Amino acid sequence: MIELQGLTKTYDDKDVVQDISLRIESGEFGVLIGPSGCGKSTTLRMINRLIPLTRGRILLGDEDISHLKPETLRRRIGYAIQSIGLFPHWTVADNIAVVPRLLKWPKSRIDARIDELLDLFHLAAGEFRDKYPHQLSGGQAQRVGVARALAADPEVLLMDEPFGAVDPLTREVLQNEMRRVHERTRKTIVFVTHDMDEALKLASRIAILNAGRLVQYDRPIELLTQPADAFVSDFIGKADLGLKLLSRRWVNQYQDRARTTPDAASGRPSHYWETDATGRPTCLHGGRLSDGDPEARTAVNDEWIATPGMPMKEALSRMVWYRVMVLPVIDESGRLIGEVSMDGVMGRQP
Amino acid sequence: MPAVFRHADRRLVANRVLATLLVAAVAGSLLLPFAAMAPNRLVSGESVALVAALSPWQTLVLLGLALVLGVACLARPLGEHRGARTALIAAPLALLVVLYGLGDYATRALADASPAARVSQGAAFWVAVFCCALMMVDAFQRLRTPLWLCSIYALVVLGGIVALFAAGTFDALAIMQEYFNIEDAFAAQFVTHLVLVGLALGPALVVGLPLGLLAHRRPGARGPLFGVLNFFQTIPSIALFALLVTPLSRLGDALPWLREWGVSGIGAAPAIIALIMYSLLPIVRNTHAGFAGVAPATLEAASGMGMTATQVLWRVEIPLALPVILSGLRIVTVQAIGLTVVAALIGAGGLGAFIFQGLGQYAIDLVLLGAVPTIALAVVADFLLQILVTVSRPAGAR
Repeated sequence: MIELQGLTKTYDDKDVVQDISLRIESGEFGVLIGPSGCGKSTTLRMINRLIPLTRGRILLGDEDISHLKPETLRRRIGYAIQSIGLFPHWTVADNIAVVPRLLKWPKSRIDARIDELLDLFHLAAGEFRDKYPHQLSGGQAQRVGVARALAADPEVLLMDEPFGAVDPLTREVLQNEMRRVHERTRKTIVFVTHDMDEALKLASRIAILNAGRLVQYDRPIELLTQPADAFVSDFIGKADLGLKLLSRRWVNQYQDRARTTPDAASGRPSHYWETDATGRPTCLHGGRLSDGDPEARTAVNDEWIATPGMPMKEALSRMVWYRVMVLPVIDESGRLIGEVSMDGVMGRQP
Repeated sequence: MPAVFRHADRRLVANRVLATLLVAAVAGSLLLPFAAMAPNRLVSGESVALVAALSPWQTLVLLGLALVLGVACLARPLGEHRGARTALIAAPLALLVVLYGLGDYATRALADASPAARVSQGAAFWVAVFCCALMMVDAFQRLRTPLWLCSIYALVVLGGIVALFAAGTFDALAIMQEYFNIEDAFAAQFVTHLVLVGLALGPALVVGLPLGLLAHRRPGARGPLFGVLNFFQTIPSIALFALLVTPLSRLGDALPWLREWGVSGIGAAPAIIALIMYSLLPIVRNTHAGFAGVAPATLEAASGMGMTATQVLWRVEIPLALPVILSGLRIVTVQAIGLTVVAALIGAGGLGAFIFQGLGQYAIDLVLLGAVPTIALAVVADFLLQILVTVSRPAGAR
């Protein structure tokens, strides 16, 4: 748990952070967001005392962080930054081992931890342990950066725009991994970003900052449906509010049973799935746009599918892109477990 | 066929550097005097051309090697890379033949001359030697040879030259005659030269490294610090040596215990002080540059993860700055080896002593006896420190 109480930072008589109070419970994914210069990074860096605070208190658990030595505090808090800052003269394994070594863990425990973390980020230990940072792609380096921050199993993870410098495709993948890692580890995370879509995708709570002040601190849905003021609704962006809401909804919330035989009884045009012996969907009969031709057959491909944990926004995007009214929902082994449809999205309140 | 290849096929010469060096070496060897024969050490001798000095088989071998090198620089049949490898074999052979030819000529020429007669090397000899050396350097650059392979190659070539020395090939040459006259003094001055360089570099590092770190940590100190060090650098070395004589002799007079330590107006003390002053700027500048080159994100990550300031310095900053710092040491070492020559003027000793003695007596061979080992020392030090710089480069950045 992290609690900020009346946090204020003053540079040259100017308050860059003014009287911010908020509480991020254990296991929550808290996001600080706002336009550049709003004080979000400064706030984050006051938590691990890279920047000294001017007034107020920060509690980590029930300890006031000013009572801890900065080094001791920082070894208890993971830290990942946009430019990653991997040590270029050390291998991936050495980079991940930094904090465990500072904490004087035994070597066997450090080695096991390195493998565990590489595995968590789907980096093959045999291949990556001994690589140097300059041999990694941007996405791989950022994964190692986050793995390094998690190395000593810190109570809290601070992340300062960690995916800001990677290309949009990699960012998407990293965000999905971050969600998965958060679900697995249930770390308390404080995450700084200026990207609202990223915040909506990851956060369990979002703090919107403007000009050093906390404007609204709420769950994403409340932020979208009950913005505190005009600044918040402008910052969220009204134009694609509907899509943003769908980015906080998951496929399993809209999932229907998938028909695998033609529905002769119903009067309206219908569709059904063809599956192979193992239960994987191979082809869709009907269901294409609204032409209603029940004989139209469309082969299922790797892109044209949904998974229960996928944001509904992404599922919708795939329907639009592949010009279908319905997507198969598959489980981890690729078996058909249901379907989501355009009708389903429209028929339910987001 | 792509245009690039067609263009490459039309080219006659693939390696223009090698071609130029070869033309220079051949022209220099033919037009300039290869050796000089003098009745005694103080008069300048009579020029002898390469063709006259070398025996027929030596001339033929050299001619053959020149032809091989000529083919090596062409686009066909060998091309750039195989040509460079060929040059790496032919150039050192040519070098050894030229060296052996000179010594052999001296031995033959002096066999029936008066004992005072001298044979010394001429301009053509130096041109041939330097062109051969540059051909090897050029070939290594073209082949991007790793440093360890260069080192082994250099050792082999050096071994060949040492073997010629050991076999007494050069004993008849004037420069070696000078050496035999002062064998003991030469060894002593050689050691003195090294000691002077060492005594200057040690303190310069002890003072310069912290100053470089200071310049990095305190931007305010940078301006004045570099101002002062730059000022030292602009004082001509002879002037600096001379300027130090008076205050140091006063100091020695005032504090007798200092004089017992060897501090006086002339001798080693002013030389070492001047060398330290000259060495500081490159060391401080490179130390500062090395630390400034460490990425801010790396430092933020280091302290953000809970390293203490000391841990950040020793585990992150110093390892990453080391290659640049060592390049500074490399500059300074070569510079100090050269400047120590001048220090002989104020009685500090070293190889410069022979140079100034030789200049005083108009005995050019004695001058060379001081100069050639100094150059060799600088080249060897430069090469060794280059290896150190490469090794110090972090594995991740090599």
